[in-house]
Amino acid sequence: MTATSIIGTAIARTDSAEKVHGQTRYAADLTAPGLLHARLTTAYQAHANITNIDTSAALKVPGVKAIYTGKDLLPDGPEPASRPMAMLARDKVVFYGQPVAIVLGETEEAAEEAAGLIQVDYEPLGVNVDPIASTGKDATPIRSRDIDAGEGEGEAHATVSGGAEMDVSDLGPNVTDAVAFKRGDVEKGFSEADVIVERTYRSHSVHQGYIEPQAMMVVPDPVGHLTIYTPTQGQFFVRNMVANALGLEHNDITVVPMEVGGGFGGKTCLLQPLVAATAKRVKLPVKLVLSRMEEFLLTTPAPGTVIEIKSGAKKDGTITAIRVRGVFDSGAYPASPTNVATLISGGYYRCANLDLEGVEVITNKPGVGAYRAPGSPQATFAIDQNIDEMARKLEWDPLEFRIHNISVEGDPQPNEEPWPAIGAKEVLEALRTHPLYTNKPTGPGEGIGIAVGGWPGGVEPCAAHLRLNTDGTVNLSLGSMDISGTNTTMAMIAADTFGVPMDQIRLTTANTDSAPYAGMSGGSKVTYTMGIAVQAAAEEARQQVMAIASAELEASPDDLEMIDGVVQVKGSPDASLTLSQIATMSMSFGGKYIPVSGNGKSAVQDKAPGFSAQLAHVHVDEDTGEVELKHLVVAQDVGKALNPAMVEGQIMGGAVQGVGWGLYEGLIYDDNGQPLNPNLMDYTLPKLDQTPTLEIILVEKTSKAGPYGAKGVGEPPVVPTAAAIANAISDATNGARVSEIPMTSQIVLEAIQKRDS
Amino acid sequence: MKHEITVTVNGTKHTAEVESRALLVHFIRDVLNLTGTHIGCDTSQCGACTLLLNGQAVKSCTILAAQVDGKEITTIEGLATDGNLHPVQEGFWQEHGLQCGFCTPGMIMSSVDLLGRIPNPDEQQIRHNLEGNLCRCTGYQNIVKSVQFASKKMSGAAGDD
Repeated sequence: MTATSIIGTAIARTDSAEKVHGQTRYAADLTAPGLLHARLTTAYQAHANITNIDTSAALKVPGVKAIYTGKDLLPDGPEPASRPMAMLARDKVVFYGQPVAIVLGETEEAAEEAAGLIQVDYEPLGVNVDPIASTGKDATPIRSRDIDAGEGEGEAHATVSGGAEMDVSDLGPNVTDAVAFKRGDVEKGFSEADVIVERTYRSHSVHQGYIEPQAMMVVPDPVGHLTIYTPTQGQFFVRNMVANALGLEHNDITVVPMEVGGGFGGKTCLLQPLVAATAKRVKLPVKLVLSRMEEFLLTTPAPGTVIEIKSGAKKDGTITAIRVRGVFDSGAYPASPTNVATLISGGYYRCANLDLEGVEVITNKPGVGAYRAPGSPQATFAIDQNIDEMARKLEWDPLEFRIHNISVEGDPQPNEEPWPAIGAKEVLEALRTHPLYTNKPTGPGEGIGIAVGGWPGGVEPCAAHLRLNTDGTVNLSLGSMDISGTNTTMAMIAADTFGVPMDQIRLTTANTDSAPYAGMSGGSKVTYTMGIAVQAAAEEARQQVMAIASAELEASPDDLEMIDGVVQVKGSPDASLTLSQIATMSMSFGGKYIPVSGNGKSAVQDKAPGFSAQLAHVHVDEDTGEVELKHLVVAQDVGKALNPAMVEGQIMGGAVQGVGWGLYEGLIYDDNGQPLNPNLMDYTLPKLDQTPTLEIILVEKTSKAGPYGAKGVGEPPVVPTAAAIANAISDATNGARVSEIPMTSQIVLEAIQKRDS
Repeated sequence: MKHEITVTVNGTKHTAEVESRALLVHFIRDVLNLTGTHIGCDTSQCGACTLLLNGQAVKSCTILAAQVDGKEITTIEGLATDGNLHPVQEGFWQEHGLQCGFCTPGMIMSSVDLLGRIPNPDEQQIRHNLEGNLCRCTGYQNIVKSVQFASKKMSGAAGDD
């Protein structure tokens, strides 16, 4: 232990210096000798057979080195139903913007020009845009259903055991998955209810909106080994996907994880196999950096949803039944978080009768991927607006109604697993005494709204390595990517456990050749699981230090203490050794001790779902439908805030993404499947003057397994925001219910008109 | 067509031939290797490429390299002087105004411009003047605090605080 533990204190990110100097290297900044620049030719049809590709004009552009099409990269067999594996469309395109060819040029300009000269002929097929219509039996099939896409990326971020898989064979050809959670008898529950609330809630696909576009550089060496430089949340995932796509072994590939300029679930593995395949063929380094339009056209946004909820409750406040019918628009590849979202949509509150069904449908849009708490913001927008409406109809206070019904430890989730020690009730109770709640704003157009939401939390085994150097400094080597300040927290944990000042520790995010294993940085699990591994690595190294000191100082390890990098016999500062002396004895010619080197591993099984309750204050102009979000209070159970600066930063960022879900963001497609707003002019990311002042309340209900009792923090803050805003709008407008996000002024105005009719 | 330009960047004079169509941001990044100025969009919305041109914040993706002949440019790499952080840099560090860091250089340059024009901005002025710079990580609140930190520090140094 250091003299005073730094755990729980606010410490700035350890990479602050390089970042304020503009010295952090991102993948787009890299270059290599002989580098070729890649540009993509993308489809301008959303569903069509490719009849011909003519590259002759493009090949004549000076500086063009090579052009590849789907037939070049994957000549035989069915086209894979996994986005990264499919690389380029070969026989047909399934969404507007799908890559059909890749050009490698000596300059980006040459490649760009040539990409525009590639002539692709199409035979159009029926386009599926609307998710409900796409579930129909007469919808144009996008692909044969028996091609397995593997595990959906959206699902990979949460660890929930599933509901019953439903048979989809008698559903339409584009229905790719269906799950159900059933309990009791909902019809009986509805017959016992005094009030029924039935409504359909819609959301559109939204983009993760990271400011750094996706980028990658692949450098082949003369014997065929590939080194891939790319920002990714999961370097081992990229390595394995590229190996699978190219038929290589895992150790034929080194992934060097670059700084992630925002990920939020969207930077995993997408185009790396394609670029790796081309670099391997031309035997030269190849770099691809996406444009912002390509980001919107062809990466992996979050799914749009249509969620129908019917709920019933009695005047005494008992919720008697919840029925959910969810449709999740997965885009052209099955990867939506159907399981989690269906569970969440009926899982926060105690209820004896549940009938929850979720259906995944593929459409001719870009295949979806993970985005912060996949599925949860959409599901929560539905359920927590429905519950709010229920409370008001029953003439219960909406906060008290929630507190009365919210699940606590031991209550069953829809999959019948008991909820662990969740803080859902505590975060709601934290809002009870807030002045905005006790002294509600009055006046025309003023309103407040509450919502609660959570995230089941992910777990995955991981490992960490800590090594002492002969000058007394420490190297901590991890395979987890820092997407949220976790490296700073890991250094704090290592310093606290090992017993050195934090500035003695250098943390390296090592590459796939040298890093101890870590899974994807996602699912709110890095601190929760890696923190344990770092503690174990630091503790093992500390014990080695103590063993050496014990032998050298001729004292029992129990009589030794380490303070700020000096080991001494308790109470006898004269009998002491510095870490540098100890390390030198273990790492020098003829030395007699094993090198101080600690390995820590964790395979946490207990999950620690995180919950956030939010209180929104809005002003609604009933003439225009315009909503001003004036203030947002966010109470979140974080278990234990190891570094409150990082924790609050995560929560604020997540909540403002929730504001984006609620008020601004949505990808719009026309009937031909062409996106109408694939740029930052027409797709609105929340700006500084469009975001409210935020107030964060940290609730600390410790977890059983996390380091120091910490829980995952990243996901929960985005979850209830849209619902809280919708509930505030209803409060401000005397009951207008906005059932679609983003709640643009037009949609709010329609809700106000519907209220009046 | 090529143009010869002479431009002073972070105090150093450079003479180079640039294509008519070359954007300033590409000149800065690809010719001068100053990669702290970032590219985040194609349409001048995100502000990641913001730098100071003759002391004024501009989005370097909206300006041609050929237009900067005879002018002075400061990029994020040139903001600290003699190893001392600019108060805005210090603010973003101390007040946790950065996370992934990709928007940070542009956000800092816009903030420097803002404080040059309005030394003591209130929260609304900060939010209004920086709305051309997007950040997806922080939720902006700590960015506002970072600018307030710098404002306070700079007016303190000027002796009127």
